[in-house]
Amino acid sequence: MSVALIRAGIVVVALGAWEVFGRLANPLLYVPPSAALPALGRLLTLESYPDLGEHLLLTLREIAVAYGLAIAAGVGGGAVLGLNRLLGRAYGPILAALYAVPAVVWYPSLMLFFGLDAASKIAFGFLLGFFPIALAVLAGIRQVNVQLVTVARAFGASDLVVFRKVMLPAMLFTLAGGLRTGLALSVIGVIVGEVLGSKAGMGSLINHAYGLFRTADYVALVVVTLVLILASDAVAGVVEQRARRWTE
Amino acid sequence: MDRITIRIRIVQIVSVAALLAAWEAIARAGWVDPLFVPAPSAVTGAMLRVGALAMAGLGDTLAKTAVAYVISVVLGVGGGLVLGSIRSVRQAVNPFVIALYGMPKILVLPWIVLLLGFGTLPAVVYGAIHGVFPILVLVSGAVRDVDHTWLTVARAFGARRRQLYWKVVLPAIVPTVLTGMRLGIVFCLLGVLIVEMFAGVRGMGHVLGSFANGFQAPELFAATALVSMASIVIVLSLDALNDRLSHWRGEAR
Repeated sequence: MSVALIRAGIVVVALGAWEVFGRLANPLLYVPPSAALPALGRLLTLESYPDLGEHLLLTLREIAVAYGLAIAAGVGGGAVLGLNRLLGRAYGPILAALYAVPAVVWYPSLMLFFGLDAASKIAFGFLLGFFPIALAVLAGIRQVNVQLVTVARAFGASDLVVFRKVMLPAMLFTLAGGLRTGLALSVIGVIVGEVLGSKAGMGSLINHAYGLFRTADYVALVVVTLVLILASDAVAGVVEQRARRWTE
Repeated sequence: MDRITIRIRIVQIVSVAALLAAWEAIARAGWVDPLFVPAPSAVTGAMLRVGALAMAGLGDTLAKTAVAYVISVVLGVGGGLVLGSIRSVRQAVNPFVIALYGMPKILVLPWIVLLLGFGTLPAVVYGAIHGVFPILVLVSGAVRDVDHTWLTVARAFGARRRQLYWKVVLPAIVPTVLTGMRLGIVFCLLGVLIVEMFAGVRGMGHVLGSFANGFQAPELFAATALVSMASIVIVLSLDALNDRLSHWRGEAR
């Protein structure tokens, strides 16, 4: 039997077991596939949540802004720390230590400061996305061949030119990895923020369905959100592949 | 300390002090609303006021995290050994493990709470869900990649299966297990805190959430600083342990 067949078998068996168990135990709580699928249909035909499009768009916008800010600050901050040895050795460890804190502890402060609207989600998505990008740029600069930098400097290149013409191409692959992780974390940050407290966005819909015990709708919303997340990661994955080919 | 290290320390201390001073000055000058951004001095005062409450919450959170962590490590290392050693199981199950590892766990949070209610149990379960996958993925990879020459040699000298695991596989994967444990503890703490914020009745996440809802900014900042410091201390001590163990391995070889 081929591996693919076994994997498909596992999926079928899992779904079947879920169906049987869900029906026998508590269909409302365990939402068997036979209940989840129609709910997904109702969601996609805008029957259960007519304003799904607006919420989806809002979440996407929050992610885009958060990620854009994270890239700007992450690349900028990482470059400054990477180019200046003293600053890098002073702030690098502080950055790494802050990265070790479970980021969700910052969220209540952000919510207090930015309110329940989009700003607090953007701030949290930014915060989560910033660290992996900055640390990747820092690591990338450190692995650039010193001789290349010396030669470029000898020909009179400024810091900015050295960064753009020498370092960026050499560390492209590391950077792409950081950008991918950063995107995944920005997405999670926005959605976590929405689930923990918001009035609009996919997370708020999920929370709404959960609060009203509309479990089938909840599962359908989770599926849609998951597709959104997977799609964003797939795009980042393509970019990473390109960068890898380019670097090699 | 050599000169460069001293300079680094000076830069670190000066910039933290400058940041705090600037923050204090801005807050005193009234450029920001003290309701939302309290001055460091107000935060210090709040730290003294709510210290006992916050410490109790932190203790509660860390206890849940410890239980979740033990579960994660046991399941992660055990499952990793199985997945890593049995090729057919690994090939069949691995994509699912990777998918579950990558899936944002926030999506199942409401369901976990619906299923397990409020309180300690959902926090422990959700923390363990966060912690187990990185350990599982790392350990199964390490077991798979154990140098086959070592296994062949051990077998040639008549080692039994049990001896193979105890004498060859387990020592070989120790560094990876430690890396996984370092990753896992932060994930466990994260999971526990999220549940406490979302549906907590106790613990640090609940404390943070209720300070935010009550617009008690100084208390909120104080509690945030406390839990951040606690997690930094935990991670740094795991790093230090890791360092010592790797020295020990280096000498033994």
